[in-house]
Amino acid sequence: MASAFLLDMSRCVGCEACVVACKVGNELPTGRQYIELIEQTSGTFPDLSGGFQNHRCYHCTDATCVAVCPTGALFKDDGLTRLNRDACSGCGYCVQSCPYGVPKMSDGRSSKCDACASNVSGGGSPWCVSTCPGKALKYGNRDEILAEAKERVAALKTRHPNAQVYGETQAGGLGLILVLPDDPETLNIPADPPPTPEAANLWKNWVQPISMGSTAVTVVGLGVLGVIARRNHVAEMKEIEARQAASIAQSGADEGGDDA
Amino acid sequence: MPETNSGRTILRYRRVPRIIHAVLATSFLLLLFTGLALVWGPLAFIAAGGWSRYLHRIAAVAFIAVPVLYVVFDRKSAKEILVDSFKYDADDVAWFKKMYRYTLGRTAEMPPQGRLNAGQKLHHSAVIVFSAFIVTTGIIMWGFKSSLSAAMLAWTAMIHDLSMLSLALLLVGHIFFTYVYQAWSSMATGYVPKEDMELEHKKWVEELAQETADTSSP
Repeated sequence: MASAFLLDMSRCVGCEACVVACKVGNELPTGRQYIELIEQTSGTFPDLSGGFQNHRCYHCTDATCVAVCPTGALFKDDGLTRLNRDACSGCGYCVQSCPYGVPKMSDGRSSKCDACASNVSGGGSPWCVSTCPGKALKYGNRDEILAEAKERVAALKTRHPNAQVYGETQAGGLGLILVLPDDPETLNIPADPPPTPEAANLWKNWVQPISMGSTAVTVVGLGVLGVIARRNHVAEMKEIEARQAASIAQSGADEGGDDA
Repeated sequence: MPETNSGRTILRYRRVPRIIHAVLATSFLLLLFTGLALVWGPLAFIAAGGWSRYLHRIAAVAFIAVPVLYVVFDRKSAKEILVDSFKYDADDVAWFKKMYRYTLGRTAEMPPQGRLNAGQKLHHSAVIVFSAFIVTTGIIMWGFKSSLSAAMLAWTAMIHDLSMLSLALLLVGHIFFTYVYQAWSSMATGYVPKEDMELEHKKWVEELAQETADTSSP
């Protein structure tokens, strides 16, 4: 059973209360934030239409950031994408690979929404959800969230014929279900984000475990073999020396015999 | 001490190759350690602050400089090692067939070998090939990381990591044989016991004797 956020962009008024609550609640220092409102304009002057993206982690099921993270600092838990900053090496692969451009580098480490893991485990809800004045945000069981998103979209259809649920299938299903009044492209959100590169999955599932295993086996194996082989070689050298000494003694004895 | 052969020892590596080997070993271990910090959780705290990533780049420059140092300071050894490492003869093929014996510390029945035994040749050529891979992918990630797509970055990182894994495993083997055959002196002082060479590199000892005879006879 997975959890998810509902983000209803027909209700979001862009007040930035979630941005502030997130930043304050998570005690993020200057320069770090998990939510960002990005203004979007389309059309050409004077026929302009505007909007904004409530830009934050989409919590992909098929999370590219998790696949490329070499240390396991990024991981999936309860359908959400968490970040253990202590395990982050700051390689920046997630920053480079996220199809939504979410993780940022901060203080040498990756920085992104972890769905307020500590609040939720204590029975509370994420800071952004509990503060939203427009009821645009909700947090709960993903199936229920998805059902509610569909209901909201059905109701929106009368006024916004293009209204749609975003996140049911994208990137293997998102942990952030969006209710959009229009096509995602109007907010500069990719309709279908690129999947996790095969190479990243290959690295995570095969290359890394096999590398660890083969290194351990080689070190231990050759360590043990080294002791045995060294002993063999010492014995062999002794044998050769003994044979040489014997042959010298033998030739000496032979010469001695000739003299006699 | 003059670098000439005395009765009981043979000069196997002159000073310049020994110094270059030290540069290679030091830079490689630094690269391994600082690289591991990037991809292995328990060491991640070292990389996150940033200093190990600068050290990685400094060590990378030293690592890349190794072939340059060779060509500038000892072209003769560079050529020798390159030519030797990629040239195998019938004895080398026979040696590979009995390699398990050599691995177990038994040399008595091994086919006669030149200056480098067949295993050393394979080791050298593998080091050269994997180093080429690691340097190429490393330069790409150093200079062009931000212009790589997610898939390109994943492939580049994978080739980089697999090359380093191969080199690290080769290093384990290298240390193994150094221990079994107590070969440390060839890199520490450059001299090795003649009796060891007569057993392990018979053709080379004969070659040296021939050269000495050639230079002293006319």
